[in-house]
Amino acid sequence: MAQAEVPPRVAVEERLFSLVLALLVSENGLTKSEILATVQGYRQKFSSSGASANLERLFERDKDDIRELGVPLETVDDPANPGNNQSLRYRISPLRYRLPGDISFTAAEIGLLNLAALVWREGSLSAESRRSMVKLRSMGQTVEEPVLGYASRLRSQDAAFAPLTDALDKRSVVRFAYLKPGQTEATVRQVQPLALVQHQGRWYVDTAESISGARKTFLLRRIVSSVFDVEPGTVVPAENESTLALQRLDALWESQTAEVTVVPFTDAAARLGQRRNTVNAASGRLTLHYSDFDILADELAAFGPEVYVVSPIALQRAVRDRLRATVDAHSAETQPVQEQPVQEQPVMQQHMGEKHVEEQRG
Amino acid sequence: MAKRGAIHPANERLLFLLALVPWLADHDGVTVSQAAQHFAVTAEAVREAVRLIAVSGIPGETSQYQHGDLFDIAWDRFEDDDEIQFTNLVAIDNSPRFSAREAAAIIAGLQYLSGLPEAADRNAVDSLMVKLARGASGRPSQVAVETTDAGDTLHIIRAAVANDQQIEFDYVTAKGEREHRQVDPLRVESMDSDWYLRGWCHSRQAVRTFRIDRITDPELGTLPRSVHPEEVTLPETLFEGSPGDVVVSVDVAPQAMSLIADYLASPPSAIPIAQNTAEIVVPHFHAVKRLIAGLSGLVTIIDPPEARKVTADWAARGLEQYGKL
Repeated sequence: MAQAEVPPRVAVEERLFSLVLALLVSENGLTKSEILATVQGYRQKFSSSGASANLERLFERDKDDIRELGVPLETVDDPANPGNNQSLRYRISPLRYRLPGDISFTAAEIGLLNLAALVWREGSLSAESRRSMVKLRSMGQTVEEPVLGYASRLRSQDAAFAPLTDALDKRSVVRFAYLKPGQTEATVRQVQPLALVQHQGRWYVDTAESISGARKTFLLRRIVSSVFDVEPGTVVPAENESTLALQRLDALWESQTAEVTVVPFTDAAARLGQRRNTVNAASGRLTLHYSDFDILADELAAFGPEVYVVSPIALQRAVRDRLRATVDAHSAETQPVQEQPVQEQPVMQQHMGEKHVEEQRG
Repeated sequence: MAKRGAIHPANERLLFLLALVPWLADHDGVTVSQAAQHFAVTAEAVREAVRLIAVSGIPGETSQYQHGDLFDIAWDRFEDDDEIQFTNLVAIDNSPRFSAREAAAIIAGLQYLSGLPEAADRNAVDSLMVKLARGASGRPSQVAVETTDAGDTLHIIRAAVANDQQIEFDYVTAKGEREHRQVDPLRVESMDSDWYLRGWCHSRQAVRTFRIDRITDPELGTLPRSVHPEEVTLPETLFEGSPGDVVVSVDVAPQAMSLIADYLASPPSAIPIAQNTAEIVVPHFHAVKRLIAGLSGLVTIIDPPEARKVTADWAARGLEQYGKL
């Protein structure tokens, strides 16, 4: 069904599809002008006098779109004419494009992979999640439903998540303002991100500090400004950087402990008692593990009278100080400064956290 | 680079074409509706894609897209019987690899879920991760997620579902009340490290959501489940507003606004930069006292006075334990 006549308009996906096909079969690659003159969707817009700036820009955008899908579109220097942009050739290696022949997944594996892709359906990796599920379906197997229905979500709602992932992939140095736990003033940091990890429900970025090269870990939810891409980074991350970052957080978690007592049958008793590695002694005394002193102090302060910190003394003091600050800020004597009336805003039904879990209505 | 999160219809349609070709090639003579079902798209989307594929191809030696350079299908079968059979294939012979980010996302998802009973075989999960990394077109981005420690409760829930039995447990509410519950488990949900059970609660005669880390002494019940997942429609969102919700206005340092983002009455983007007040929505003041006591020095309640009092009392009772200092 060859097209006899050039159609007036070629759909975008037809142009992109034709570009992928043309580059997959051309062993030595095609130059930009060859592509624009011959490939379906470009050739219709190509005039004999050459490519217009518009057409070249269209090609640049198409390249990015195709790469975004994971298609390895490569540029190859012309050996006879190195460094010359006009003789640069574009190709897609079939070997690097297609799933290796020896990789296949069983129905059970596809089921697990689907579950894993689905956890990202909200937030900044949702496009990746959706695309990988299309690719999984392409591999053919029908999905095996698990016995128990799961709806698991990993959220990356921290605004810093997307720019940090970009910086990871581009190996850039970034700058942001950081509000260190336990402090009330933010400071500016300049670092090269090396890994993004989630530990105990919180996202951390592991980085190399620009000036000192020192490894620093930051909590994403404490990044309080936009993340600015500053310059190309110089550190080459290890292949298992994210595993190492998780192991460091785990090691911290294992090594640091605090002793608390909890009031039986309270929220604190149930939740702290089920925290990872918690040792429950008789009489309501718990040994808790933690990775960050100030985060733990915040968490314990939130439990108010349900928990008493025995040790370390510094933690006891930190929790006490937080409770006192809360009392001082909310006691009857300290009337709040009356602000200008807040402009009326529509109440969005955006409810998260634990506040709507059943017990409040039970 | 294209902006992530935004949907690029043409981009997504290209991916569908690249995914559809190898699957159709492997399923000779499949019907349009079977393909639509497999890819979870409409039949018309499949037909459109097949029509496009069937006239696509490579420029070829003549650069003229000659007949042999194009895909082709058995048109009679397609038009008369809604069946798809390629008679010529071009350039594509297998599914596309995962992108570096896609592989990273799935690997991190697997790490997250590897504590579930479904993924009990650690070696199988590890080899799956290796396969994914090999099947990616670039080195997977360095993103990792801690494994969920499923604990006994999830195993008991799963056993209950497998045997179609109820489960029983003690549950502590945010108000500090402890109750024994009998529940028909329906679905397990999670958000990051917080896990929830949704089930039919027999004492409330309604679907309820329970935080798994507030469940104590869980055990298999003696009675069969009376409500099953297919008999109820669980809302997609875990939490919904309820008529009894209260609005609390707070004074918040602008740099700390993101820390209360989950509770804001309006999306953070709707709040003017440098504004230092915000409204948060909670089901009752006992929920807000825990939130505020955990954000000491950063967020202060302005109004209503009752919310300030509940919070001040909560913190004061906590402070009393440490005596006069």
